Amino acid sequence: MRIFWIKIFFLFFFFTLYARLFYWQVIRAEYLQAQAEGQHFTDIIKVGALRGNIFFADGSILASIVPFFSLFGQPRLIAEDQKLSTGYLLAKILVDDTDQVDSLAKDFINKISQDLDWVSLKRGISYEKRKQIDSLNLAGIGFEQGSGRFYPEGSSSAHILGFVGGDNKGYFGLEGFYDGELKGVSGTLRHEKDAFGLPILIGNFFNSNAKNGKDLVLNIDRSVQFIVEQNIKAGLEKYGAKAGSVVVMDPSTGAILALASFPNYDPQKYFNFPKEYYKNPLVADQYEPGSTFKVLVMSAVLNEDLVKPDTVCDKCFGPISIGGFLIRTWNGKYYPDTTLKDVIIHSDNTGMVFVGQRLGLDKFYSYLENYGFGQPTKIDLQDESAPDIKPKNEWREIDLATASFGQGIAVTPIQMVRAVSAIANGGNLMEPHIVRLIRDDSGTFEIKPKIIRQVIKNSTAQTIKEMMVAAVDLGEAKFAKPKGFKIAGKTGTAQIPVAGHYDPDKTIASFVGFAPADNPKFVMLVQYDQPSSSVYGSETAAPTFFEIAKQLFAYYKIAPTE
Amino acid sequence: MTITKTFDTEEIQKRFPKKYIVLTIVSLLTLTLIEIWASNTVVAYGEKYEKLFAMERNLKMENQLLENEIAKNASLNIISSKSAELGFYSNQSIQYIR
Repeated sequence: MRIFWIKIFFLFFFFTLYARLFYWQVIRAEYLQAQAEGQHFTDIIKVGALRGNIFFADGSILASIVPFFSLFGQPRLIAEDQKLSTGYLLAKILVDDTDQVDSLAKDFINKISQDLDWVSLKRGISYEKRKQIDSLNLAGIGFEQGSGRFYPEGSSSAHILGFVGGDNKGYFGLEGFYDGELKGVSGTLRHEKDAFGLPILIGNFFNSNAKNGKDLVLNIDRSVQFIVEQNIKAGLEKYGAKAGSVVVMDPSTGAILALASFPNYDPQKYFNFPKEYYKNPLVADQYEPGSTFKVLVMSAVLNEDLVKPDTVCDKCFGPISIGGFLIRTWNGKYYPDTTLKDVIIHSDNTGMVFVGQRLGLDKFYSYLENYGFGQPTKIDLQDESAPDIKPKNEWREIDLATASFGQGIAVTPIQMVRAVSAIANGGNLMEPHIVRLIRDDSGTFEIKPKIIRQVIKNSTAQTIKEMMVAAVDLGEAKFAKPKGFKIAGKTGTAQIPVAGHYDPDKTIASFVGFAPADNPKFVMLVQYDQPSSSVYGSETAAPTFFEIAKQLFAYYKIAPTE
Repeated sequence: MTITKTFDTEEIQKRFPKKYIVLTIVSLLTLTLIEIWASNTVVAYGEKYEKLFAMERNLKMENQLLENEIAKNASLNIISSKSAELGFYSNQSIQYIR
C-alpha cells in the first residue's frame, strides 16, 4: 500500500511539473520570449537624419544645423535632500541674469519634487551649457538631443529660405520646396546588451542607418545678395515705402543671383513675426506692372514686323477715348507724330494704345502666353503663384488698350523679370532657378539652364534693347544713371486698384532693366510698394536700380564703355 | 587450382597521414580556445565602445558648432560692421585705367 502511495505521489509530482512546464513553455511562451528579448536587447533607438545644409554659390553657409538639448529630470532618482541644491545649481548655469536665478531654481525644484518618473525642465539648451551641467554629475538629470537651423547671415535671404517648423518640416521658400530632399530618412539602432545595459560587441546589431538630407548649393551670390539687401533697406527708408523688393537674374541661364524683399522675418524666430511676412512677394504677389510692360508689348509688335522703331504714331496728339474711357499720358504731355522709339522714351500711354491696336488682340494674347504670363515660372520656391489672364473672349477694346501700357493686367515680379530676360538674352524665355546643385554622399545632381521657348527674334531683341537704352539715357531717370555704362531699362509707375478704381496716390513704383546692355551680366527688377516721397518709379525705383548696378559693376569688374 | 593475386587499391596506399589528423585537431582546439579568449575579452569592451561612440558623436557635434562659428564670423554682415569699425568704407569714385 505504501508503495502505491509513493507511486501516486511521484505521478502527481511529475504531472504538476509537466503542467507547469507546459504553462511556461507553451501558454506563456510569447510573453516570456518578448520579456527575454527586452532584457537582452536595447530598446529601438531612433537615429534622426540631419537636415541638409544650404550653401551660397561660393560654398559659404546660408543655413546649417545646430544641436540643441532639452533638459529633463527623473524626480524618483533624486534624493530629497539634493533637490534644493540641484535646482539652484541648474538655474545658476542656465540663467545669465542673476535676478532670475531664484525664480528659475524654484521652478526646477517644484518640478523635480513631483511624484513622477520624468519631467521636462528646459528646452533649447546649448552644447556649452550642457557640458557645464554634465560636469556636475547630478543624479536624475539628463538631456535629450535635437537639432535646429542655424543661419550665420541672420535674417538675410529669409524669403529665399523659408523656415523649418517645430514639426521639423520645411515651410515656404527652399525649405518648403525641397523639404523631401533636405529632411533625409531616419534610421534605427538596436543591439544585444549586457547586465549593465552596455552593448555586447560580439552580439547581434540590428541597425538601419540614417540617411542625412541632401545639401543644396544655390545660384545666389552672397555678395550680390548683400548689396541688394543693403540698398533695398536704405531705399525703403529713403522713399518711405510700405515694402520693397529686388530680384537679380542671370539672363543667359535663368540663375537667380539675388532675391530680397522687405519687410522680412528672422527664419530662426519666424513665430515672432506676422504670418503675412512669410510669403515671398516676388513670387507670390501679383501687381499691375505699369509702364515696364510697354517694352514687352513693343517687342511683340516689332517681332511681327507690324511697325518699325521710327513708325509715327498718328493718334498721339491728345487723350484717346475708348469705350467711354479717356486714356491720357502720365504727365499730361502729348507728342504729335512721335516715333515708337520716343513712345518708349517718354513712356507714352497713347502711343502704346496705338501699338496695341496695331498688334490686335489675338497676337497680343499669344505673346502674353509666350512670355509666360498666366503660368507659374516653375522657380524652385514653394510659395509661387501665377495670376490668371482672363479668357480671350472676355477682353474688350479698353482691356487691350490699358494692357498695352501695363494696367488692368496682373503679373508677378518673377514673371516680369523673366520676360525682360528674354529681351536681354536675344529672345529666349528661361526657367528661373535658385538651386544649382543638389548633392549628397552618393553624388551631385546639377540643375542645368533650361530654355522654355524662343519668344522673339534676336534682331527684335536688339532693337527693343536699343529703345530701352535710349529710355535710360533720355528718359525721366537719366539723372541717376551711372556715367559711362550702357544700361537698358524702363521705369514703371502702376496705380493700385482700390475698390473698383485706381488710387492716384497709391502706386507700385518699379524699374526693370539689364546691364551692360550689349552683353548683359544681370537683369534686375526693383519695386517699391506705395512709396511716399514720390509716387514715380523714375524717382524711387530707378535710383535704387542704378545704385545697385553701380556696385555690381565694381563687383563683377565691369569697366565703363562710353 | 586457381591462383588469385590481390592488389591494394591506390586509395589505401595514399591514406591520410595520422600526423595531419592530429595537427588539424590541435589547430581546431587552438582556434576554439582563441575564439573563447577573444569573445571573453571583447565582450567586456561594451563600455569602451559606448564611450568611443559618444566621443565620436560629441566630436561631430563640436565640429558642426565650430563650422557654424566660423560661418557666423565670416558672414558679410559681421565683416561689414567690423570693417566699418576699423575705418574702411566703400570706394565712391572708382578710377578706371585704360
